[in-house]
Amino acid sequence: MRIGLHICRGNWSKQEEVLLKGDYARLLPALQPMQIDQFVLEYATPRAGDIDVVGKHLADRELGLGVVNPRTDEVEPVEYIVAKAEKALEYYRPDQLFLNTDCGFGCFASRSVNVEEVAFQKLCAIVEAAKILRSRFG
Amino acid sequence: MATNNTFLTTQVGSWPRSKTMLKALRGYQKGTVSRNEFNNVANDEIRRTVELQEKAGLDILVDGEHRRESFYAFITDKVAGTALMSLADMLDYVEDKAAFEEMLRTMDMPASAVKNPTCVGKLSRKESLALGDLRFMRNLTSKPVKITLPGPYLLTRSMWVTALTRKVYRNHKKMADDVVKILREELIDLRDAGCEFVQFDEPVLTEVVMSEECERRTFM
Repeated sequence: MRIGLHICRGNWSKQEEVLLKGDYARLLPALQPMQIDQFVLEYATPRAGDIDVVGKHLADRELGLGVVNPRTDEVEPVEYIVAKAEKALEYYRPDQLFLNTDCGFGCFASRSVNVEEVAFQKLCAIVEAAKILRSRFG
Repeated sequence: MATNNTFLTTQVGSWPRSKTMLKALRGYQKGTVSRNEFNNVANDEIRRTVELQEKAGLDILVDGEHRRESFYAFITDKVAGTALMSLADMLDYVEDKAAFEEMLRTMDMPASAVKNPTCVGKLSRKESLALGDLRFMRNLTSKPVKITLPGPYLLTRSMWVTALTRKVYRNHKKMADDVVKILREELIDLRDAGCEFVQFDEPVLTEVVMSEECERRTFM
C-alpha cells in the first residue's frame, strides 16, 4: 500500500487571491521525517512556488505533481502539463512522478469549485500529457 | 497493453456534487432521507464518476467523495464522540464571534458551506471511515483505487472546540492521541483489504506557516 500526504493552500473559493500563498520551504523540516511514500502537492498555481524547493529535498519519495487547477474554467493545454512534468524530471525519475489535479473539484459538498464537464476535460488533458511523456521518457 | 509504471495519473479526491446528490445529503442529515436511500443516490453518482475517470483513461481512481459533507466533516457519521455542527451552532462556542464571521467573509467562504466535526465526547470508531467506499469501488473497477482520509493535524485542529471538548479531553494532545489511534486502525484495515493508495489530506499545514494569523480558528 502506498501512503500519500496531500497539502494545498485552500480550495474553497474560485477567487485565487483569498487562498494562501507560499512555497513548501517552511514545511520541509516537518515533511522530511514523515514516513510517507508520496507527497501530493499543488503546482498548477504559481502560489505554490518553484518545484526546486521540493525537488532538492524530497526527491527520495514520489511526487504527485499537481498539473491542473481544479478551480478554473479553462482546461490547461497538454503542452503546459508536459512542460511542468519535464521540469520535475530534473529531480524525479518517471516512475516517481505522478500527475494529478492540484486538489479536489468539490472538497465541500455545497461548494464545488467546478462543473463535471470541465473536470472531465481536465482529467483528459492529464492523460494526454502522460501519453506524450511516456513516449518521450517512458 | 503493458501496465504503465511511469507518469501514473490520478486525482486528489472530490468530484463536483450534483443537485440530486446535495438534496439527498441534506435530507439524510435532517432525517427525511433514509441511509439506504442516501446510499443509492451516492452509488449512482460514484458509478458515473468512475465511468468518467475510466473514459478519460486515469490509472488510479477515486470515488469522488460523494458521500462526504466535506473531506473531513464526514467523520461525524463514523466516529463516536463527534457532532456535525453548522456555523450557527459553532458561533455559540467560538471565542471571538465577530472575528470568525469576518474571517469567513474575507476568505469568501459562505456560512452555509461550513460544517465542523466537533469533538463532544470520547472518540472511537463506530464503523470504518472508508472501508465501505473501497469495497464499493472494487465492484465498479479493476483499476487501483485511492482512498482519501483527513490527516491527524487537520482533524485535531478542527475538532477541538474548547467549550465543548475540554469536558472530555484535558488538551489538544490528549484528543490527538485518540485521533491518531482512529486513523491508524483505519489505515491497517484499508491495507488488509488490499487498498493500493491511501492519501491523507493536510491543508492546514500550509495555513499554519503561510497564514499571518496562525492562531485563529478557521473552518478547517
